[in-house]
Amino acid sequence: MNVPALARGGVLTVALLALPLLGLEHWVLNLLIFTLMYAAMSSAWNLVGGFAGYPSLGHAAFFGFGAYFIGLWFQHHDVVSGYEPFVILPLVGLLAALVGAPIGWIAMRTRADVFAIVTITLLFVAQTLAFNLDDLTGGAQGLAMPTPPFELARFEWPFYYAMLWILLLSMALTYLSMRSKVGLSLDTVRADEDKALGIGIHVQGVKVLSFSVSVGLVAMAGGVWAYYETFVYPQFAFDPLITIGMVLMVFLGGRATLWGPILGAVILVPGQQYLAYKLGGSQLYLIAYAAVFLLIMLLMPRGILPTVADRLRRRRAVGTSSDAGPPTAAPPSAGAGSSVPVPSGGTA
Amino acid sequence: MHALIQGLILGILTGGVYALMASGQTLIFGIMKVVNLAQGAMVILAAYFSYTLFADFGVDPLLAIPLTTAVMFGLGVVIQLVFLRPLKREDSAQLSLLVTFAVALLLEGFMSVTWRTTYRSINTDYANASWTLFGYQFTVVRMIAFVLSLVSLGLLFLLLNRTRFGRAVRATVQNPMSAELLGVESKRVAALGFGLGAATAAAAGSVYGLLYPFNSGSHYDLISELLSIVVLGGMGSVGGAVIAALIVSTSSAVVATMFNPTWSSFTFFVILILVLLIRPQGLFGTVERGAL
Amino acid sequence: MSSGNRLRRRVLVAATSAAVVILASACAGTASTSTSSSAATSGTPSPTTTAPLVIGASVSLTGDFADSGKAVKAGYELWADEVNKKGGILGRQVQMKIVDDTSSPTQVVTNYQNLITQDKVDLVFGPFSSLLTIPASQVAKRYSYAFIEPAGGGPKVFAQKLDNLFFVQPAPVVKSGDVYADWILSLPKADQPKTAAYAELDDPFSAPIAENIRARFEAAGIQTVYKQVYPAETRDLTAIMSKVAAANPDVLVSGTQSEDAYSQVKSLVQLKFSPKFMFMSNGANSPVEFPSKVGVNNVNGIMSTADWYPGSPAESSPAFVAAYTAKYGGAETDIDPSSAEAFSCGQLLEQVAAKTGKIDNATIISTLHQGTWPTLVGNLSWDAIGQPTGSFSLIQWINQKLTPVFPADVAKAAPVYPKPNWGG
Repeated sequence: MNVPALARGGVLTVALLALPLLGLEHWVLNLLIFTLMYAAMSSAWNLVGGFAGYPSLGHAAFFGFGAYFIGLWFQHHDVVSGYEPFVILPLVGLLAALVGAPIGWIAMRTRADVFAIVTITLLFVAQTLAFNLDDLTGGAQGLAMPTPPFELARFEWPFYYAMLWILLLSMALTYLSMRSKVGLSLDTVRADEDKALGIGIHVQGVKVLSFSVSVGLVAMAGGVWAYYETFVYPQFAFDPLITIGMVLMVFLGGRATLWGPILGAVILVPGQQYLAYKLGGSQLYLIAYAAVFLLIMLLMPRGILPTVADRLRRRRAVGTSSDAGPPTAAPPSAGAGSSVPVPSGGTA
Repeated sequence: MHALIQGLILGILTGGVYALMASGQTLIFGIMKVVNLAQGAMVILAAYFSYTLFADFGVDPLLAIPLTTAVMFGLGVVIQLVFLRPLKREDSAQLSLLVTFAVALLLEGFMSVTWRTTYRSINTDYANASWTLFGYQFTVVRMIAFVLSLVSLGLLFLLLNRTRFGRAVRATVQNPMSAELLGVESKRVAALGFGLGAATAAAAGSVYGLLYPFNSGSHYDLISELLSIVVLGGMGSVGGAVIAALIVSTSSAVVATMFNPTWSSFTFFVILILVLLIRPQGLFGTVERGAL
Repeated sequence: MSSGNRLRRRVLVAATSAAVVILASACAGTASTSTSSSAATSGTPSPTTTAPLVIGASVSLTGDFADSGKAVKAGYELWADEVNKKGGILGRQVQMKIVDDTSSPTQVVTNYQNLITQDKVDLVFGPFSSLLTIPASQVAKRYSYAFIEPAGGGPKVFAQKLDNLFFVQPAPVVKSGDVYADWILSLPKADQPKTAAYAELDDPFSAPIAENIRARFEAAGIQTVYKQVYPAETRDLTAIMSKVAAANPDVLVSGTQSEDAYSQVKSLVQLKFSPKFMFMSNGANSPVEFPSKVGVNNVNGIMSTADWYPGSPAESSPAFVAAYTAKYGGAETDIDPSSAEAFSCGQLLEQVAAKTGKIDNATIISTLHQGTWPTLVGNLSWDAIGQPTGSFSLIQWINQKLTPVFPADVAKAAPVYPKPNWGG
């Protein structure tokens, strides 16, 4: 067991749990809810896009799935205490994971770039279904959720804790998979899939498992979002920009790292929402956003965490050459080459 | 029966335009292994150029094509040199996906500042004209668009098959390593190839502007459609893209006329998924071994 | 402990401090802006205060709804200028705080949260589009703010049953086509269309209008020969229009937005099919865009609805037009009705203040629920859930000019029917 890592996780958990108790204002909590949502989703995306190296552009399909599931469930069930939608969240996650498994199985027969395209196609298929199955989904009229009956002073709390729970779950799963055979298998798949197959890794199984878990987590975030927004609409729930957000945050923070996606979300979500609020009127907003995006890609193609960690390690290596141990989470390039996993049939 | 044939006519005529747009996309992939998410934005940008030339200077969109093609070729080369060449790492396939998306956003931002977000359309005096043959409608712009697309595709074909540059491009598509060994300067080919892809977007953009109203956000719709066509045809195969474009647009048009337009885009996504189930490499793609 | 862990902790510290910096700067921002405005939820500012009256609104300045969003912004700001020239509201200068929601439902929630709880604005106005109005109105309701909104009239807006919401148009979206059904059914039986076709854009502001007319027509015995809903991304309406032409209806009722209206007309012209009656819910009521997109010779006889239009009989219209053209330039026909609707939101506030001598949210809500309020878009009154109870005016292109033709009290010319052929 890696005690410092667990300790860090514990400190973060306690800090985040205690945050609402500090009497933060509503607008701060609102911002934190969206930040936690994207942190959770980026962390989940990282399982497929970062660790397995399959850049899914279709995760928003499952975000919408979760949003619509919660929306539809409460067309037929009443919200009394206000907590019912949170109670059925695990069900949402499980269902999405089940639906995701065959989809992942089909989509992951293709290699990385075709996979990206197949998944974005999936997103548009899902959006079309939400529009066209209007007897079920309300179609282009949208779907209204019951108003959450929470008292004003603590209105945001349940949403905050629900998003936090999903984030912690996602990080715990990431941590566990990094520590287990699954993580090693994923590393190998990312580095060289043919070789991974050659040394007996159950490639398809590992990939589908990570896809399934990942989309289940995203669907839960979608469910909470729908309840917070109180309104679900196909174009908003199945929005390519939601996926793009996850991808960006993972790339910014650092792929295939535990903390990278969270760092990405903490920088981008408040930054973006605050900028749109403060300077949104300026037409240059989109250009500035794209420019920042491009700069990051060109200057730090591996993301902030791996780049900074590398630079620091190199500096240290010059000083004390013996003290250069590998970082806890290997950056993508360094991953598989050094640590060839023990061949095993199962996916643990 | 009448509706079916009308649908087929519509689909084939529209398919030409899509074939032109997708050929640039698939060419760029073939040469550089880059999925260019900015192809749609480049088409729309070219449509705006041709709109401005028409609205402010009275230049007919058809005559504007040589000019916009030259400009877009230059822009394509610049984009490749500035944004894509620096990506050298082994996962550049993934990174280029993001970089080209960022380029698309950049172009979108530029377009919404320059032309605002109002829908524009190029209203030539022949915009509403149509011919009736055997009881079927042929609109003039659609015929022009189709012929133009065929001419552009023909030129592209000649370029690829009859010139030194074309041979170098095809060699790179088939096997970059041995092409390099045979003395092909892959960097130059990549830059010029991206320029060529952008140039086809220019021709396609003028045609697109004739057919449809557009604004800076229109490229989002194009991205998914073009990618589906390219994947269906087999990534990197220009011939495959042309055939896939025809399949996609005729099936959508037939579904729209025979059944229901709300399901027409759905149809080709379903075709795509079915094809990928049977042939993950697409209709005319080759199986790629090893990491891209 | 390995060096890796130390490094990673340092990175973590850097990250958290970055977050703290962002939050801290945000808080600092609050402090500086909130000093100037009064407390938000804690009740009524005394009538004697001279602090500016800050009104917050989030509109779409980028993204899908950007064009209409900008028109709404123009209307809000024009009203603020005008009211300030008259000395403000109850002696307080009006200050509009307008922010961009990038046409995103997530951002719109953030914006109203920030406006109300961070900047503590005194009042809020609505965004553009029903899709953004719904989540925004929920936030406003939570803080008991009045939600006067110019552009969210879809069925789901009112399904929320909010008592703080007021939709500033003559009728909810669903009923905005009623005036056309009224007119058709008022014609002598022999002149009425016998068959009808419906082409409807699949969104909350278009299809419901056509559906409502269809229900009225079918009840009156007008046979439906074709009906088609099409998705928003349909670029090409040739396929649908050729089926309309094949069905050969007397009347074509189109639930349209803008581009699809132009595309429908262009396809019909190309198909050389001209129905005897033609109604388009939106798009055809745009005085400049419509003729420029479909050709000036193809507009005559087409009908649509409007609340404010050039030459509107509303009492405040001439002053509005003068102020608008002075501030933004252009001609009367360049004014987007969305600007007039936004301007009307402000007119309501002025009247509430004049009537009650107060301008707090509770007063606004209770006052607007009674009586009739003259605005640019007509005399408005609302039911308990914010649905306006009036009706739109029927307008028709006559001699290439938009002309009100029904009901009789606003009509400036008799309706022309059957519709002249294309090019006529």
